Amino acid sequence: MLEVRDLRVHYSGIQALRGVSLDVRKGETVALIGPNGAGKSSLLNTISGLVAKDTGAITFEGQRIDGLAPWSVTKAGILQVPEGRQVFAEMTVLENLQVGETALAERAPTYGLEDVYKVFPILRERRDQRAGSLSGGQQQMLVIGRALMGGPRLLLLDEPSLGLAPVIIAQVFEALAELKAQGLTILLVEQNAHLALTSSDRAYVIEQGKIVKSDESRSLATDPEVTALYLGQD
Amino acid sequence: MSGFIAGYIPLLDLYLIHLGLAFSQYIVLRAGVFSLATAALAGIGAYTAGIFAVKLGMHPVLGVLAGTVMGMAAAIVLSIPLARLRGVYQAIATVAFIQIFVSLNIYAEPITGGALGLNGIPKTVGTGILAIAAIAATYVIWAVERGRLGRAFNAIRQDEAVAASLGISIVRHQMLAFALSGALAGLFGALEAYHAYALDPNQFGFHLLITVLSYVILGGRNSVIGPVVGTAILIILPELARFLAEYRMVIYGAMLIIVINYMPKGIADTVRDAVRAGRLKRRGEDPA
Repeated sequence: MLEVRDLRVHYSGIQALRGVSLDVRKGETVALIGPNGAGKSSLLNTISGLVAKDTGAITFEGQRIDGLAPWSVTKAGILQVPEGRQVFAEMTVLENLQVGETALAERAPTYGLEDVYKVFPILRERRDQRAGSLSGGQQQMLVIGRALMGGPRLLLLDEPSLGLAPVIIAQVFEALAELKAQGLTILLVEQNAHLALTSSDRAYVIEQGKIVKSDESRSLATDPEVTALYLGQD
Repeated sequence: MSGFIAGYIPLLDLYLIHLGLAFSQYIVLRAGVFSLATAALAGIGAYTAGIFAVKLGMHPVLGVLAGTVMGMAAAIVLSIPLARLRGVYQAIATVAFIQIFVSLNIYAEPITGGALGLNGIPKTVGTGILAIAAIAATYVIWAVERGRLGRAFNAIRQDEAVAASLGISIVRHQMLAFALSGALAGLFGALEAYHAYALDPNQFGFHLLITVLSYVILGGRNSVIGPVVGTAILIILPELARFLAEYRMVIYGAMLIIVINYMPKGIADTVRDAVRAGRLKRRGEDPA
């Protein structure tokens, strides 16, 4: 579904990606793990068109999407949930969700308002509240819900657990599991490697702008190097 | 009594024209563009209408239409280089645009009448037409605000990167806001031309820029009531304080400083938010 081939990206003088290749197949949840500054977010931002590539190719459902503007990428069905729960704080919860519909353009919605409320019931309760007044976990649910309103065929998630309490993280990832069960394809960037490996089918390990390992998540979870470096066990 | 009302008609006319210009300024700010071009766009509309009337002897309806179209066209052209700039650089570029408009206007004397202005425009627009135009403009802004377009403008203003990642084309939406802003400025500029007998290039310079921007800053930038209230206050206030006429600009400045410091959202939006928070509290929810 998504093919990234030998992607190189630099910005502000730093080589962020040094020839990254990666595949995401339909219906899969693929995780991307690695230390801070390894290039995880750069990769997502390049796929979604926010950052320009130097060389390489990105193909989505057979069509080249590298070089497209962000809004054209979303119209092809790739929606990114950016890092840091960026809700539109001054708008209500409902308005935030309605803005998400823009990405549909002429495509038919895959998740309507009711479907989003079913996944995240708290959003229905809070629909008239200013998004800025929600808790961190609720804001994370809102930005995922907002992306769902845009009818994603591929959902890019950037650090959904960042800064959330463990019990809230569990709720968010339960919802993601539900979305996966409904057939949604997900590319997940996550610093919490344990969480990433238990909630994905396959995973890539990225270090200093290069993929150093890729395998089924189950196998990576028992890989001695991965456990030593990312899972904090010896 | 009728004499009393008649005495205030010029003030009402001024209010209606300036309300249209305030909306022109409002809609670009709303879409996250820090453009201050409204004054010059109004000038383009006014001079187009004036030239149609004086030099070409055209019907006022055609003049107003041409003024609106020219204002809109100029705004769309202006939006192309501005799309590459952000924030205060947009403001500087549009101030330069105003200076260019005023200078060109003075040099192009055979067409525009130069520094002496354009005189002898037949007065064909009265309070009635101005009121209809102002109500129509208010309705258009209100409708834009409620719909999908208004939500997209809000999204862009609050966070461009996130808006882009949600499929909102920044360039296209800001061009649309500019087109609307230019059409409003052109329309009300043209109405001003048919209302005032004469046009003077400096009328559309830096002073008008500050005036129109003040209406929006003082009233509020986040709802249609903002410009309605802000324009009313700044037009009526100098009349009430006539005995302080010498200090008019001082009062004006002081009010702006006070409002910017204590009600950064503007008077109308601050009141609206307070009412909304009170309502939520009564319903037993967290105030926003």
